[in-house]
Amino acid sequence: MWLQALPALQEILNLALRIITSRTFLEIVFFPGFLNVMLSAAFLVWLERKVIARIQLRIGPLYAGLSGILQPIADGVKLMFKEMILPELADAKLLMLCALGLMMLAFAPAAAIPFGEGLVIANMDVGLVYVFAVMSLFPSVILLIGWGSNSKYSFLGGLRSLFQQVAYEIPMWLSVLGIVMLTGTLNLTKIVEAQQRLWFVVPQVLGFAVFFTVALAELERTPFDLPEAETELVMGWMTELSGVPFMLGFLAMYTKLYVMSALITTLFLGGWSGPGFLPQPVWVVLKTFIVASVVFVIRGTFPRVRVDILLRTGWTRLLVLAFANIFVTVALMSIGLGSVWRI
Amino acid sequence: MEPLSSYIILSAALLGIGIYGLVSKRNAIRLLFSVELIVNAANINFVAFARYSNPPMLAGWNIVFFSIAAAAMEATVGLALILVAFRLNGTIDVRKLNRLRG
Amino acid sequence: MPDIAFLALSGLVIVSAIFALEARELIYGAVGLAFSLIGVAGLFILLGAEYLAMFQISVYVGAVVVLILFTIMLVRRESGRIVEEEEPGRLGRAGILVAGLIALAVAGAIVILVPISPEAPEFYGVPLPELGRDLASSYAVPLVILGLVIGATVIGGLTLAKVEREKKPNGTTQ
Repeated sequence: MWLQALPALQEILNLALRIITSRTFLEIVFFPGFLNVMLSAAFLVWLERKVIARIQLRIGPLYAGLSGILQPIADGVKLMFKEMILPELADAKLLMLCALGLMMLAFAPAAAIPFGEGLVIANMDVGLVYVFAVMSLFPSVILLIGWGSNSKYSFLGGLRSLFQQVAYEIPMWLSVLGIVMLTGTLNLTKIVEAQQRLWFVVPQVLGFAVFFTVALAELERTPFDLPEAETELVMGWMTELSGVPFMLGFLAMYTKLYVMSALITTLFLGGWSGPGFLPQPVWVVLKTFIVASVVFVIRGTFPRVRVDILLRTGWTRLLVLAFANIFVTVALMSIGLGSVWRI
Repeated sequence: MEPLSSYIILSAALLGIGIYGLVSKRNAIRLLFSVELIVNAANINFVAFARYSNPPMLAGWNIVFFSIAAAAMEATVGLALILVAFRLNGTIDVRKLNRLRG
Repeated sequence: MPDIAFLALSGLVIVSAIFALEARELIYGAVGLAFSLIGVAGLFILLGAEYLAMFQISVYVGAVVVLILFTIMLVRRESGRIVEEEEPGRLGRAGILVAGLIALAVAGAIVILVPISPEAPEFYGVPLPELGRDLASSYAVPLVILGLVIGATVIGGLTLAKVEREKKPNGTTQ
């Protein structure tokens, strides 16, 4: 019976070998996929602590590796060995599942973001709405974590996070409408290609401002970090997570930051375009880190916004700005400047 | 490619599950689940037919577009009604919610 | 050789749908419904309707499921658990019978009566600009009516779910 199974086994091995050496698999695992996002998220943890430390006139992580760069890895290893302490009626399976889900959701948009000409995992014609659709899945997972922790701090934090992220979804969709009108496509690769002459941050200043604000709110970053307000809600929906679920949730936030910064780079800052002395992926990563640094500087500089102002801004004021951006874009197109960006 | 009948059978199975939920569950929110499943079964059917017709008909996608939006709105109103019913009666068991109250 | 993607996705849809209805906790049921809807979105992608799949994910899973989760969390007794239904009993078995018969009838009717060619025609993706143009021209009136109905729904939902606050004598709310 074993002899009969041998050809089938060989065929499965062949298939596995073909998959592993295929270009898409390598892209998914190494660059611009899993390894790239993981390492960059860990790097961003270190970068944030250094930037915030310098703003606050201190030094930040120093001892783990060269200038503390191995600090995130040390934190990760420590968290993996920690005991998972949960309240009595908290749902451990649900929390673990949701933490894993958060990580998966944070990684998912990276599949559509181009890191070079042709260096994209999935060149979808609907890449932009794919990223936004994945972003719209975050609130429900966070709500489940907040509720599943069976603790008032967590639940309130989860609710606040839900309200905040849902409120800023409409400005998110509307602020990129100007770009879609100018290029006529939702394909992120084509949007980057259309910016070869002029980055979209120039004609779409309002859209950029709105989208950047929305990104700050979606990432729960100051000045919108009420779900994490340490003096009020301990740590919001992450309060009761500890050990591995906490590491997953924490890393998911930084992964999301990396992916959103990469998206801002792709949409507004020209993606991979730059002088030729650096390869294209390096330009993308460099611009992404610059955007992330701006986010960190804002965190170290601005106070926190009150929750009702936060929600009102998302539902009303940003909407007005996004519509203004659409009007400006229509005006630009009607003068005939729209053809500058058509491919 | 899968033959069209596979999609029809899948959609009919989903419809069956939805009808089973509607008939035998008494929690109002489960009834809402069942309605959403039925609407999704119909949507799958629309898209499958739009894809397999020759030439592919765009009308199928447009109908599903409106169907998804309409179903979302109906879920919204349904949930608001469930909230109100719970506040007035203390239960969402549809067998107990059988009296019109002022 | 049947398509693995189709089998996997339809398995996800059906199993999650059954789980959504049969899970003890309503929250697990809502999560099951979310997975089922994501499976339906995957089927849309298989059928070449990618934009619809993204629309389904962002509207259904991103909004409706959130609403359902929210409502489940609000509809709770003080003990913390909603009174769940017990074993199906007669009504459950009758339900299965009725549902099975209807599903069989519908599937059989369509498969027998509609002339279906077994081959899928050539198809190179949804022409998005054409979809947009269709929506703006042929479907303009339904689109505007949809917008109005959404507005009415939101206002109605908010009014229904509103909590009346008692006013204190000096005019401020409690």
